[in-house]
Amino acid sequence: MANVAYQLGSSGYAANSAHSAPHAHPSWSPYDNNGGTCVAVAGNDYCIVAASTRLSTGFSILSRDVSMIFKLSDKLMILSPGFQADARTLHKVLQQRYIQYQFNHSRPMSVAACAQLLGNTLYYKRFFPYYTFNICAGLDEQGKGAVYSYDAIGSHERSGYAVQGSGKDLIQPVLDNQLKAASPLVLPPENWMSSLPLDQAVDLVKDAFVSAGERDIYTGDAVEIYIITKEGTRREVVELKKD
Amino acid sequence: MFLTRSEYDRGVNTFSPEGRLFQVEYAIEAIKLGTTAIGVKSKDGVVLVVEKRVTSPLLEPSSIEKIAEVDTHIGVAMSGLTADARTLIEHARVETQQHRFTYNEPMPVESCVQALSDLALRFGEDDDEDGGMSRPFGVALLVAGWQEGEGPVLYHTDPSGMFVQYDAKAIGSGSEGAQTTLQEEYKPELSLKEAEVLALSTLKQVMEEKVTATNVDIACVAPTYHLYTKEEIEEVVSRL
Repeated sequence: MANVAYQLGSSGYAANSAHSAPHAHPSWSPYDNNGGTCVAVAGNDYCIVAASTRLSTGFSILSRDVSMIFKLSDKLMILSPGFQADARTLHKVLQQRYIQYQFNHSRPMSVAACAQLLGNTLYYKRFFPYYTFNICAGLDEQGKGAVYSYDAIGSHERSGYAVQGSGKDLIQPVLDNQLKAASPLVLPPENWMSSLPLDQAVDLVKDAFVSAGERDIYTGDAVEIYIITKEGTRREVVELKKD
Repeated sequence: MFLTRSEYDRGVNTFSPEGRLFQVEYAIEAIKLGTTAIGVKSKDGVVLVVEKRVTSPLLEPSSIEKIAEVDTHIGVAMSGLTADARTLIEHARVETQQHRFTYNEPMPVESCVQALSDLALRFGEDDDEDGGMSRPFGVALLVAGWQEGEGPVLYHTDPSGMFVQYDAKAIGSGSEGAQTTLQEEYKPELSLKEAEVLALSTLKQVMEEKVTATNVDIACVAPTYHLYTKEEIEEVVSRL
């Protein structure tokens, strides 16, 4: 897993210290990458949200059971792989804003509203970003699955499914193949929502994580899955390889 | 009311021994000197009508603005010191745009009215930055809106910072007579066209002059704000 910030930090400092060897100091980065993979799949009447539970740094495993899924409500979740400390802070900010929204407007925040809020929250730290690569997922006001995916500085887009984190390169092409995303730009407009029945989509997500766990050292231990429907939200945990 | 007038009507933040804030009560009196404004809710939208006092034949009637757009789904009609309403409307416009920026959705109408009332109550504070005033505002507003998932809504706000929801409401000099008529004539199943007629005929009753396309303004929120053109007003007048 390429750790962009870490490489920038270390190579940058190394180059400087080469010129000023007497004052060399160990390189330090405000960022880390704790790895992990997140997937969200939107269906016509469901939304599947899944994330691996391993927390790593470099070649070390810090924990085998840390959740990357932040539940704002039963129907609204934020998934944040990347730097865990930033993710935690971001979740705290969003939780606070979510509660304030309910007080001010006497209704729960919709996924669309939360998606915009998350985008703005990320962009407000444009020059010292939260090092997280988020997915915002849930059921929209029509009861349809809604998935929004982000870069670290808040650029976002609604899509039929999304993958983020260390296993992205392994899982994305599989979902592209299985869920047959039509571009939202093609004419006439095609349905970009998953047409798979819920149980098949859940199996696809589980298989994707098992496969990613074979090759990606940052994806493993377990995958936590939330299945969100009109009737309610169900949580499942599937064990993955621990190596 | 004026029998108990005393030194207690000087400061805006001093209660009288009977527990009253006279300056706020006087501000509410100021509204009763203003032109009449009426709001009527129907099942397809809210209608706002206001009287424009064209005091001189040389006066340009279109320059009298007593109905304003706050956002595409919110419009307000005012009565009282209409200059004060500019501050309130500017505040509401900023709030609604801010909400769109943050949440990418129209601001709930009640939240917008709440924001207006918060500002109305911020008189007599030390710093009078961003719209706060040394005295209470001298206007009442009728806020017509379209609330997602709920439909048409109508609110009344006054200088005391209070706000209430209505089916039909009249404010200003002719409000007492107009409110009685509205109470007798209002039906919840009214269509937008019928609401236009009810609002304008009620206004006509309390106006001294004959209703024309130049001395009234009409707007509706159904589901977006629209200020009627001269031709559209004439069409409503012809249906009276």
